[in-house]
Amino acid sequence: MIENEELAFKDSLIHKINPCIRILLAVLLSFWVALSTDFKFISGCFVLAFVFVFLASITPNDIFKRLKPLFVFLLMIWILLPLTFEGDMVFTVFSFDISRQGIEYCAMITIKSITIILFFMSFVATMTIGVMGHAMQKLNVPQKFVFLLLMTYRYIFVIGEEYQKLFRAAKIRGFVSKTNIHSYKTYAYLAGMLFVRASMRAKRVHQAMICRGFNGQFHTIDKFSLDKLSIIFFIIVLLFMTIYQWLIVKVLIF
Amino acid sequence: MHISEGVLSGQIMAAGGVLAIAGTAIGLKNIDYDKIVNIAILSSAFFVASLIHVNIGPSSVHLILNGIVGILLGWAAFPAILVALLLQVVFFQYGGLTPLGVNTVIMAVPAIFVYYVFSPFIWKSYKITFTASFFAGAFSVFFSAILLGSALYLTEKNFLEVTILILGAHLPVIIIEGIITGFCVTFFKKVYPEILPNLQKLE
Amino acid sequence: MVDKKNIIKLKNISFSYPDSYQKGPSLNGTDVKVLNDLSFELNANDKIGMIAPNGSGKTTLLHIIMGLCQPDCGVVELFGEKLTKEKEFALYRPKIGLMFQDSDDQLFNPYVIDDIAFGPLNLGFSQKEALIIAREILSDLGIEDLENSIVHKLSGGQKRLVALATVLAMKPEALLLDEPTAGLDMEVKTRIEGILKNLDIAFLVVAHDFNFLKSISSRIISMTEGKVLMDDQIHIHQHEHIHKYGHDPHTHV
Ligand SMILES: Nc1ncnc2c1ncn2[C@@H]1O[C@H](COP(=O)(O)OP(=O)(O)O)[C@@H](O)[C@H]1O
Ligand SMILES: [Mg+2]
Repeated sequence: MIENEELAFKDSLIHKINPCIRILLAVLLSFWVALSTDFKFISGCFVLAFVFVFLASITPNDIFKRLKPLFVFLLMIWILLPLTFEGDMVFTVFSFDISRQGIEYCAMITIKSITIILFFMSFVATMTIGVMGHAMQKLNVPQKFVFLLLMTYRYIFVIGEEYQKLFRAAKIRGFVSKTNIHSYKTYAYLAGMLFVRASMRAKRVHQAMICRGFNGQFHTIDKFSLDKLSIIFFIIVLLFMTIYQWLIVKVLIF
Repeated sequence: MHISEGVLSGQIMAAGGVLAIAGTAIGLKNIDYDKIVNIAILSSAFFVASLIHVNIGPSSVHLILNGIVGILLGWAAFPAILVALLLQVVFFQYGGLTPLGVNTVIMAVPAIFVYYVFSPFIWKSYKITFTASFFAGAFSVFFSAILLGSALYLTEKNFLEVTILILGAHLPVIIIEGIITGFCVTFFKKVYPEILPNLQKLE
Repeated sequence: MVDKKNIIKLKNISFSYPDSYQKGPSLNGTDVKVLNDLSFELNANDKIGMIAPNGSGKTTLLHIIMGLCQPDCGVVELFGEKLTKEKEFALYRPKIGLMFQDSDDQLFNPYVIDDIAFGPLNLGFSQKEALIIAREILSDLGIEDLENSIVHKLSGGQKRLVALATVLAMKPEALLLDEPTAGLDMEVKTRIEGILKNLDIAFLVVAHDFNFLKSISSRIISMTEGKVLMDDQIHIHQHEHIHKYGHDPHTHV
């Protein structure tokens, strides 16, 4: 049921870059693109995103699988927005007016969203959440939050297994999911049982922590140090983005 | 229920981000590590439970359950939901990094609202428990859909039709969430009342 | 009888769970006493095995020793000190390593190495020292290859070995192991057996596997009706006829 972070276990140039640097780049580039309204700039980033995907050894198959939920949304706006967007009419289909601004807006969202997700896939989905948590801590994200993230991550797999067991038990006893109150009640009890077990487990986990001398102060081991490759990569990417943006805005070479 | 990458305007993203950070800070402020263990593992349960798909006619929808999270966690619903959404982004690329703040607000604000308005009724008779938690579940999804629609509409007025469509599509989900939340909270009360807030009101 | 240092002493402990979700067999409203006037001692060099049916209160007994639940009456002494308050227990807990029945309760970190270093870090060791201790334990147990593994990807047996490592990393003076072999295959069982045989600290090991306990401990005890039965009060044996206790080895009083 739960994705096993398969992108994190590949080996590539991007995987060698320091996780803190990767997180910084993902955040910077994502917002850079998200805030831009310049179609040319975003198109350039779109191409750049594919370069990163390539550098991260991500296959077209991986990409497609992860873009699927996005495509559903994009499909909806492509159907609706050109019809409903106010603006210049470009042509008429079955007496529906198609607006140019609508199409442009859809195209913009499509390219933007795919670009950002590809950035994210290349830089962040290529590390496990365990690594991400430690990197966030180095980036001064409050420790309580990191602790919460790491622990939630750890127990998702335990609880996921519990759910599979409960669901199997229900199926063995003849449960078939239908659109009726009985089905909803069964699912409610299954979900309820997950929360109950989670709460009972939390008690035991806390006890086990106390037994190992935990006294409300959380200490961790620092990992990964900054290497030259990561710093150079960081600088090159940011320089490239800045120069590219400057060329488009100031010089208007396109 | 979430907004994808690349849709929202800068102002809306900024507003969502600020609200999400503030809410998370409040949610974590008065909590020590002992309680975080509980919040974290309940957040794992929330993550797993929200992957459950229930049938609705020929189609199926996944559970949202922010009402239950609100009832169980109060203000801690903010960090719990933020973490669960962040994990969804990393695992499945649902939602995204730039709309993460807005998506957190969309789910967490109704959760906290429900905590204040409906959880006082939990310790009344089972009928009232069920009714209150039905409305808690239904209303939290309704409220989330409204917030989601507003975020889209405020980004671009021409999203009006899209917004209406999304709200319409959520109508059956609202009912289902109500039913599930009703049964679920009643189940907690019967089987493991310790999990619910304000145990002292039991008697 | 040179070294008869007392590590754990329980005197006349009674305990029942507050009426909660598991109503249990208390039908007429009186709480069932899980532990009933129980006394127990663990001295330095004691290697005790405990075998008793499910639900007889073994886990509860271990939790009482660690101060995770407070007895209704009776005295808990660790290292000769009578303890009642949480603060007092917190002081002595790290000297006694409790391994939980479910390794997933024990291993809360995403990575093996972090979990093993967690105890030493709590004891005030520096990061460097904690890492050295952790690696030492891993190689002692022959699982150094798991250092950078992700916990949720480990097998049940590997998780058990890592859980044992997290406890040993505290350098405890006594070990309490709650069903360390439950659900494991022969290979891991034999490994744990070998590890325990080579330990030179006192332990109390709870298990359902008679042969395992016999090979690691010098004394086997049991529990019934909330009390500990010493080895002179019981004789435990295995026999090969069909019996209502199934294949669990069982005790006859
Ligand atoms: N947290 C709890 N709340 C209520 N009853 C409990 C709890 N834990 C255990 N019990 C009950 O106490 C009894 C002893 O449990 P336990 O110590 O876990 O036995 P064992 O470890 O020997 O199997 C059982 O009847 C069990 O149902
Ligand atoms: Mg037990």
